[in-house]
Formats: sequence, C-alpha cells, structure tokens
Amino acid sequence: MMPRTSDFTATLLRTFAVQGSWNYRTMIGGGIAYALLPLLQRIHAGDPVALREAIERHSSAFNAHPYLSPLAIGAFARVEHDGRDPETIERFRAALRGPLGALGDQAVWAGWRPFCTLSAVVAFCMGLDARVAALAFVLVYNAAHVGLRVWGLRMGWTHGLDVGPILKGSPLKAIGAGLVPINAALIGAVVVLLSLRTPGFGPSPVLGGAIAVVSLGAFFLPARAGTLAILTLFASVGVWLLS
Amino acid sequence: MTGFELSTGSWILVTALGALLGLDAISWPQAMISRPIVAATVGGALFGAPGGGFLAGAWLELVVGRHPPFGAARYPETGPASLIAGAAFALSDTRSLLPLVAAVLAGWTIGWVGMHAIATLRAFNARLIGDPGATRGDGSEIARRHRLGIRLDALRAGILTGALFVPAVLAVRWLETWGTDPGPRAVSAALAVFGLAALGGVAARVLAGKGRAWPALVAGGLVGLLLAWWSP
Repeated sequence: MMPRTSDFTATLLRTFAVQGSWNYRTMIGGGIAYALLPLLQRIHAGDPVALREAIERHSSAFNAHPYLSPLAIGAFARVEHDGRDPETIERFRAALRGPLGALGDQAVWAGWRPFCTLSAVVAFCMGLDARVAALAFVLVYNAAHVGLRVWGLRMGWTHGLDVGPILKGSPLKAIGAGLVPINAALIGAVVVLLSLRTPGFGPSPVLGGAIAVVSLGAFFLPARAGTLAILTLFASVGVWLLS
Repeated sequence: MTGFELSTGSWILVTALGALLGLDAISWPQAMISRPIVAATVGGALFGAPGGGFLAGAWLELVVGRHPPFGAARYPETGPASLIAGAAFALSDTRSLLPLVAAVLAGWTIGWVGMHAIATLRAFNARLIGDPGATRGDGSEIARRHRLGIRLDALRAGILTGALFVPAVLAVRWLETWGTDPGPRAVSAALAVFGLAALGGVAARVLAGKGRAWPALVAGGLVGLLLAWWSP
C-alpha cells in the first residue's frame, strides 16, 4: 500500500531520534527500523509476516551519518514498496553504509558544524551578545540540518535503488571540501581573538603573533601534541596554585 | 570563600537541563544545543553571566575540537560538561583567568566521564536491541526498546549533571582563592593561552588534514590580530 503524507511526517520526526539506541553491535540499525516503522506498517498493511521480515532486515547492523539517515530510510521504504527481493535489499543496505557515513562526516561534522560554531565565536569576540551569538548558531545550523533531513527522505523515496547517483551528484562533498580552508582560517582567527579577549589580556600584537606561531607549530606536530596542550592547561592551574 | 548558595529548585533545573543537553548530542534531536558555546552560555545565563558562559564554551570548543565524532569514534560528551563549565565560571567570584581555565578543565574532565557512561549505555543497548525478541510482532517491541534507550540516555546525563555540578563549582571556587604572586600568575596566564593556541592548531589539522590548510590558518590568525586591534 502507498504510504501517506502523515507516514512520511512521522518517519521524518523519528529520524531525529535515529541514534537513540546506538550500540556497538548494530549501530543505528535499531533506530533505522524505529524510524522506518510508520512507512513499513503502511507498505505491508495486512501482511504481518512481510512486516516482521522487513523489521528484521532493517534492524540489522547499519551506520550512516544521522543527518543523512533519512536518505537511506526513504530509499529502504521505496525498495520495500517496490517489492524487491531480500538479497537485493541486503546488498543495497551494504552499499549505502560507507558513502552516507563518510559524506556526512566530511560535510557536516568537519564542515558545516565547525563553520557555524567558529563564526559564532568570532561574532562574540567582536562584541555580539553571547545569547544572540548562541541563538544565531542554533538557528543557522539547524536550517541546514533540518533541510538536509527533509531533502534526504524525499530523494531516498523518489529514487529508491538509484539513489547512489543522486548522492554522488549532490553538492555535499563540494561543500565539505570548500569549508576546509575557511574553517582553518576561522580557527586561526578564533585562537587569536579568544586569547586576547580572555580576562587579563589586551590586543597586544606581540602576544597575538606569539599565539599564532604556537598555533601553527601545533598544526605540524604529531597528534599527541593535543595531549601536551591539555597538560599545558593543567600546568597553568598548577603554576597558579604554587604562587 | 568557597561556599555559594544553591536552592534545590536551581539544582533540579540544572540537572534537568543537563539531561536534555546530554540527550541532544546523540539520541535526540541532534540540534547541537549540546555544543559548548550553547550549553555553557545556558549554564552561565542561569547564574547571571551568559557572556562568561559563552567564553568558557568557546574555550571548550577548541579543547574538544580535536575529537570530531567521525564514525564510531569516542569523544568527550559536551552537553552536561559545558553546562557545568559555564555555570562554574559564572559562579566564580572574580571571573578571571584561573577560574576560566579551571572551569574549562572541569568541563573537559566531565566530558570524558560522560563518554565512558555513554560507552556503558551503548553496551547495554547492544543487548537491548540485538536480542532477537526485539523484532517480534508488529514493530511495537523494537519501538519500545528504542525509546527505552533514549530514556536511559536522558537519565544517564541527568545523573552525571546532578552528581558533578556542585563538586565542579566548589572546586573552581576553591582554586580561585589561591595565587596572589604576580610573577607565577603571569606564567600561568601565558601557559593557558599558549595551551589554547596549540589546541586550536591541533583542531585545525584534525578537521582540515595535515599540510593543506596551514596558509589559511596563518591568514586567519593575521585577520584575528587585525580584528582584535581594530575592534573595541
């Protein structure tokens, strides 16, 4: 049976909780089945055996970036509706796992989220009220977040098995790559601005330059430099206590 | 002076907010209200200093920036940790550098405690959802178990916040009473900002990849210098 608009709405809302039962065995498998349920119950209405088999299929191990999971969910609903055989659906699930994770990580976690966060910090350092900066971050960030979920569910349902080329042709990869240098520049600005805005400091060019040099040096050091930097913060407290 | 007044109502409010912010990062709805700049601002605003909370949150953003949540990576939980850090800094007497660094480090520590609690919950979820009985029937059983996972995550974050909020605030206020000698205080301040700068450099490399983005990092630093000099 063809799902109704209310089924898609219910599924979309459930995708916001897709990681609610995240675990090391099935990852978001349980969440995918949970979000798919309104659509599966409509598609397999009157056929409890088919419904149960579909729930079993879709609760097995799966992982994707949470914001792109609606794309997978829409596509899974479509292939169930089209009556594809279980082997095809299994192969399709396996094929979608990798790209949805990597693309989302690059575009959202390494791209959009740091961009919005760092922009808000720069705005705060330039004098914007803290509450306004935080609220602006939430609103701007989530405009893209919610839009991505709606787009994903629609694309997944529309294209079903053929959703791969849609994903490949989407601007997500380009957005992620384009934000890489911008985010690096924003981090450079934030480190200097934040340090000079810290209680007890002023806009000293010498200190600002030294901060920029340390930041650049840490950029080229091995990964464990991060641990050293945390220890430096602890040492800061320790030296204070000794005074 | 390390004491401060906290009504039961305020403690319950902080605990409830901690539960909500802890839920946001992973389980529901991932709107990123759990990010440090938001959660710490909320924590600061609760005690009359949203700007102080934001500042603590901005520091925490750089501290946790080297742990992006790629794949199934483990990273410090930011919601309850930032709420507590922002509140602890707001509740300090002087809101100077030491309480700021202490609040940020308290947040970082609580973040890792939160991550270990999440890992424990995830192991429980594996049994909850991985059990063959979860998929029986019309789907109501897997929906029930999934919702239970979400409720347990909120409970976990609430317990973490409720248990660690007061100790963190007291620790920051106690540390604040130390240190009057200007020499070591200057060394301490330098260590703090250079540590922060190093964390920024590491975060830039983690997000951008080694070797590709250093010119942008330098350019950003120069723009930051100009902005700091130019703005009031």
